[in-house]
Amino acid sequence: MSGGVYVRVRVAAEHYALPVEQVLEVADLGEIALVPGSPPEIVGVRNLRGQVIPVIGLATMLGLSGDEPSRVVVAESGELRAGLVVDAVVDVGEMPPASEQAESDYLLGAFLVDGELIGALDLDAVLAPVETRGAST
Amino acid sequence: MSASDEEIHELVRQEAGDCLQRMESNLLALESGEGASDEVDAILRDAHSIKGSAAMIGWQESATLANAIEDRMERARETGSVPLAVIDPLLRAVDALRRAVNGEKGVAAPLVEELAGLDAGGDAEAADASAGTSQAQGEQAATPRPAVERVPTIRIDAAKVDRMLDAVGETVLYHRRLEHALEGTVHEGRQVSDELDMGERLLGDLQDSVVQMRTLPLSMITSPFPRAIRDLASEGGKEAELAISGAETQLDRTILEGISETIVHLLRNAVAHGIEPPEERESAGKPRAGRIDLRAHQRGGMVAIEVADDGRGVSAEILARAEEAGSLAALLSETGFSTAEEVTEVAGRGVGLDAVKRSVEGLGGGLEVRSEPGKGTEVTLLLPLTLALMRVLLFERGDQPFALPMTSVGRVVAVTDTTSLGNRPSIEIDGQVIRLSQLGELAGSGGKLPERPPAIVVESLGRRLAVVCDELIGEEEVVIKSLGAVLAGVPGYLGAAILGDGRIALVLDPNHLLKTPAEAMALDQSDETVERSPGQVLVVDDQFSARELQRSILEVAGYRVEVARDGREALRRIGENPDLDLVLTDVQMPEMDGFELLEAIRADEEHASLPVVMVTTLGDESSRRRGAEAGADAYIIKNEFDQEALLETIERLAGR
Repeated sequence: MSGGVYVRVRVAAEHYALPVEQVLEVADLGEIALVPGSPPEIVGVRNLRGQVIPVIGLATMLGLSGDEPSRVVVAESGELRAGLVVDAVVDVGEMPPASEQAESDYLLGAFLVDGELIGALDLDAVLAPVETRGAST
Repeated sequence: MSASDEEIHELVRQEAGDCLQRMESNLLALESGEGASDEVDAILRDAHSIKGSAAMIGWQESATLANAIEDRMERARETGSVPLAVIDPLLRAVDALRRAVNGEKGVAAPLVEELAGLDAGGDAEAADASAGTSQAQGEQAATPRPAVERVPTIRIDAAKVDRMLDAVGETVLYHRRLEHALEGTVHEGRQVSDELDMGERLLGDLQDSVVQMRTLPLSMITSPFPRAIRDLASEGGKEAELAISGAETQLDRTILEGISETIVHLLRNAVAHGIEPPEERESAGKPRAGRIDLRAHQRGGMVAIEVADDGRGVSAEILARAEEAGSLAALLSETGFSTAEEVTEVAGRGVGLDAVKRSVEGLGGGLEVRSEPGKGTEVTLLLPLTLALMRVLLFERGDQPFALPMTSVGRVVAVTDTTSLGNRPSIEIDGQVIRLSQLGELAGSGGKLPERPPAIVVESLGRRLAVVCDELIGEEEVVIKSLGAVLAGVPGYLGAAILGDGRIALVLDPNHLLKTPAEAMALDQSDETVERSPGQVLVVDDQFSARELQRSILEVAGYRVEVARDGREALRRIGENPDLDLVLTDVQMPEMDGFELLEAIRADEEHASLPVVMVTTLGDESSRRRGAEAGADAYIIKNEFDQEALLETIERLAGR
């Protein structure tokens, strides 16, 4: 996987990166309405300037604990769009080519920056419609 | 040609225009040497899609020419190269095709011939030949296109129109709030209210215009119906004609998509259960051929779609019972697909009407049924003009607003005592026990309910359920927004509405709430067990065609199918194959008939619990009763168009 410009975020103690061209905006958590009956990683829906945006808990999805949610990163992949809850947005910058080894269904690979591993999020998998989630694994 | 036909033609013309433009630029890319197999594939795809839609609406000339282009490109794909010499004729063919789809006659034949000649004569030779003709053809192509009479149109991304409708809807709501706020606070009230009224009228016009942008004529879906009805009737040994009127009636695109299956269902019902066999009709003094009418028209703020037949109608007994049930629609949609419990109910008419009612109500509409014994039946679907606005009842539960469509709300009561019905909390209203919704539990942090909490009674299909909440907010008209593609698979919601204070209220789907817990569970199970080994079904029928039809339906749905020609052979197969999940059997068969087979299965300890579905002929009450006594699990009416019902029943019983 080639490098490029990525938005780096922190979830609990881990760092992840999203291609900048798939990130629409960063917002605060705001008021999130729960959606009873949805899977646990769905935090709810949020009103973002008149649009109803699903909000996904990245920590739950990636199996991390000890997170302190503070921001929603709105990302899209084709027609799919959702806000991803993160602890912090670290920076936006160039990433070197990534390794193709993914330790999770939601990662495409990992970048190695200054001795630190940064997971490259697979937005197709993260933003997959809930009924098909898991079917591809 | 009717106006609505013209609309379809215009649509095909626009699509073809896009395809032709792409073909042209791809051909030019090939000519300049930039193109490769991607371009060839793209041209093939575009030619193919023009061929398909042109053939569908009977533009033979365009279809033939598109086919010729496709053939030539197919050859290019096989040989892996596109000789430069064929690009020019192909470009001219694209140009001719453009003229053909715009209504010009006689332009296709020369190019079809030329393209075919290229194939026959070899490419080098063709190069000379085409070089000679290209001049002449080129001049011809340059002559001005004949004027085709058409209304100028622009194409807009549907999502843009949706966003505009959203915005207009919000503006209407904002205007209402403004009106409300200014009420009573303004001294020169008269003048202000005049201005506000003016604004309301203008906004109404604006909203109507945007709604109309999203509409399409009913004829978009009706063109295949007449032929399908004729075929369906003749396969069932009947004669029937379909007359369509009001096909130009405009419907919201989303509603049109949602309703087409339901209309087909009603038409099938009319043929299968309404129209009598020709002999029966003659002896009743009717013409041999039955008449089915599909009519559409606007009724107030709704669109009414009627499916009427001049068949046998429902019995007087059912009409009498309909009075008790409140209406014929309510009675007929109570009964689900004919299962053993319902075997003596509603002969010949109720099949799948509950599904019809569900889908219409899911779109915010309603259902009416009229019928006269011996004269026929008329089913009316009442549909809203748009899905974007809905009147809802807003309530609060767990610090969060929710909404229910007003069409499903029966009444609101205060809960005093709760009782228990099958281990579920319930309340008693007017002597009737009503299940309480689990919404509170689902909402999780909902917390404790107040003393004597309000409960909203939701009613549909004769089912009732009470949704308990913390507080009622009130009735409001809201703009319904989708939860988005990511959450589309979460059941139970029609969408979401953004309230005046910016909060999101989820709009609950009443039909989902009213599903019994068992139904909800069955749904979950079917989701989880998709990957299990396929179910095995034994199809028993003495008629080859019926047997093979059922086999193909089941196999397409993923079942493994065994067949037997009569009861005896079926018993042998059942003995040989312990993995059978279900038996689907005809009633009348030589040697051993369906009842004898059923009795033999039930008498055999090892197979007594094997689900058996009987396939009966229409209105055959006595065999249904006899089958029920012998322990049949369900009935299916012989009608190849009820595939869906057949599969649903089998899926349910085979436990897949």
